[in-house]
Amino acid sequence: MTTADHTAPEQPTGRDRPVTVAVRGLTKTYGHGAAEVAAVREVDLDVHAGEVLLVMGPSGSGKTTLLLMLGALLRPTAGSIVVTGRDRRRVEIATTLERELPALRANTFGFIFQDYALLDALTATENIAVAANIAGIKGTAANRRARALLDRVGLAHRAAARPSQMSGGEQQRVSVARALANDPPVLLADEPTANLDASRGRDLSRLLRQLADEDDRSIVIVSHDNRLREVADRVLWLEDGRFKTLAGLVVDPVCRMQVEPTGPHVDWEGRTLWFCSEGCRTEFTADPQRFVAGGD
Amino acid sequence: MLGVASALLLVLVLRGIFAGAIDQVTSYIRTSPATVFVSQEGVKTMHMSASALPPDTVERVRSVPGVTWASPIGFASGSVSGPQGRQLSYLIGYDTRTGRGGPARLEVGRAPGTGEAVLDEQAADGLGVHLGDTLTVLGTRLSLVGLSSGGSSITNTTVFVARTEFTNIRGDTDSYLLVGTEPTAAANVADRISAALPGVTTQTREEFATSEARIVTDMSADLLRLMSTIGLLIALAVIALGLMTATLNRIREYAVLKALGATTIRLAGSITVQVLWTVALASLLATTFAQLLSWTLPLLAPAVSITITSTALYQTTLGALAVGLLAALWPLRRIATLDAATAFRETR
Repeated sequence: MTTADHTAPEQPTGRDRPVTVAVRGLTKTYGHGAAEVAAVREVDLDVHAGEVLLVMGPSGSGKTTLLLMLGALLRPTAGSIVVTGRDRRRVEIATTLERELPALRANTFGFIFQDYALLDALTATENIAVAANIAGIKGTAANRRARALLDRVGLAHRAAARPSQMSGGEQQRVSVARALANDPPVLLADEPTANLDASRGRDLSRLLRQLADEDDRSIVIVSHDNRLREVADRVLWLEDGRFKTLAGLVVDPVCRMQVEPTGPHVDWEGRTLWFCSEGCRTEFTADPQRFVAGGD
Repeated sequence: MLGVASALLLVLVLRGIFAGAIDQVTSYIRTSPATVFVSQEGVKTMHMSASALPPDTVERVRSVPGVTWASPIGFASGSVSGPQGRQLSYLIGYDTRTGRGGPARLEVGRAPGTGEAVLDEQAADGLGVHLGDTLTVLGTRLSLVGLSSGGSSITNTTVFVARTEFTNIRGDTDSYLLVGTEPTAAANVADRISAALPGVTTQTREEFATSEARIVTDMSADLLRLMSTIGLLIALAVIALGLMTATLNRIREYAVLKALGATTIRLAGSITVQVLWTVALASLLATTFAQLLSWTLPLLAPAVSITITSTALYQTTLGALAVGLLAALWPLRRIATLDAATAFRETR
C-alpha cells in the first residue's frame, strides 16, 4: 500500500542516461518553532537526461515548492541539488551564492508557467528574444534564435503577434519556445496544461515529450493533469512533502485526484471506491451513475 | 505614452500661450526698423511708462557717429472706444512721410493724416469699427483710415496717428527716439549715444524688448504665469504617476524576468530605456500637436497667439525626463527585493 519513504519510488524509465539533476535530502520548512511547517521533507530524486518526470499530488503537497527549489528560485532548508549543465559542469544550487543565481538560472533552466507569463507589450519573437538576451545572446542572433524556436513549436506564422492576439494554446507554445531560448538542460513546468482545453493540452504534452527526446533534455512537470501521464517516463506522487508509491494510490471518482485508500469510501456494486473527502463521497452517493459512467 | 504626451502638450500649450502673449506685447519694438531706442532718463519701457525727451535730443543724436537716421515718436497710454466698447490702447504719433515708428504692417487702407487714425484689425473687430467709421482716442474723435496687424496683445491695442495729430491730442513732445544704425553697430552706437547724452536712457532693440517683456510679465501676466506653473505641476504629477504606475503594474513581469535570470541592474536599465523612449516619443507627439495648435488656434481665436520656443521644449522635455526617471525608478527597491519565485505564485 502506501509508503512513507522519502525517496522517489523507482519506476521503469526505459532509460540509461546520465543524471541531470540529483537531489538528496531536500527539505524546505517555513516558519519556526510551533509554527514550523515542512513543505518538502528529505526528498531524494534523480532526473535523467531526456526524461520527462511528472510530479503529481494534492494542493499544498509541496509540488511548487519542490519546483522552485529545483529551479534555484527558493533556498532549501536542508539537502542538496546538483545540476549538470550542457557543458557537463556540475553545480550545487543550494550552496551557490545569491548573486550567482540569476546567471545560473539564465544558463541552466527553462521555465514554463501555468498562465504563460508572457510580456504583454512584446511580440512572440520579442518575448523569446528577451530570454535569449538574458542568457547572453544579443542582437540579431537573439531574433534569429527566437524565430527558429517559434518555427520549432509551429508558430512561425505568429512571430509578430502579441500575447493578447494569441489563443491560450499559442501563448503556451510561445512560453515553451521562450523556455528553450537559452537551450537549457532542464525544463521546469508548473501546471503547463491547466489553462488549456483537452486538445491543446494533449498537443502541448506531446511537444514536451518531443523536446525531451530530440534534445536529451530533462523535463520536470508538476501538475494535477492526468493527461500528462501518457508522455511521462515517471510519475511521482508528492503528498505532505514526501514521495509516495503511486501504485498504492487510487483515483477519487468524483474529483479524479489520486488518494490513499485509507479515508472516506463506499462499497458500490461489489467494489470499494475511495474519496479524498466526505464531500466527494456525499456527491458520489447522491448520483453514482454520473461519476462511474464516465469511466474509472 | 498618450498620458505623458497629453501632459506635455498641456505644458507646451500653456507656456506657448504665455510666450505668445509676450511676443505680442513686444511686437512693436521687435518689428521696428530702429536698432536703438532713446527714452527719458530712467524710462526703460513703453508699458506703464511716460517718457518726454529734451527738445534738442533728436539733433544731438543725429550727430553721433554711426547713427544713420533718428525719428521721434509721440507716445501715450489711454483708451480707444468704438460702438461696441472700449479697449486700453497705446497712442503712437509717427512721421507718416518716412513711416518709421508706424505700424509694421498696414493690412488695409492708408497711413493716417490729420483727424485720422490707423487701428489694429483685431481691436477694430472687437470695437465694431470699419474703415471710414469714427473712433474716439483719448477723448478725440478720429476717422479710421487703415487697419494694421500685430498691434494687439493681452494688455492693450495700438492706435497710430500722424505726428501732427498726436501734437493736437497730447502736445508737441517727443516721447521716444527711434534710431537707425548699421545692424552690427547697434550696441556701440547705443554706448556712444549714452556717452554723448547722459540725460537720456539708451537701449538696443533687444534690451528694450527684454525690458518691456519683463515689466509685462511682472505686472500683467501673473495669471498666465500661474496657469503655466500649475499646468506644469499637474503635468509633472501626471507623468510621475503614470510612469510609476506603469512600473508597478509590471511587477509580475519583472518577477518573471528575474526568474529567467535577469539581474536588478538589467531591469533598472530596461526601465530607464522605457522611460527615455516614452518621454522622447511623447515629447515628439506633444510638440507636433502644440505646433499644429499654434498654427490653427489663431485662425479660430485671433487674440490668442501660441509661440512654441526651443527653450520651452528643452525645459519641458528635460523636466518630464527627470520626473519620469525618478518616478519609474522609485519602485526599484521593491523590484530589487522582489522574489523571483512570485512569478510562479501570482497569476494575472
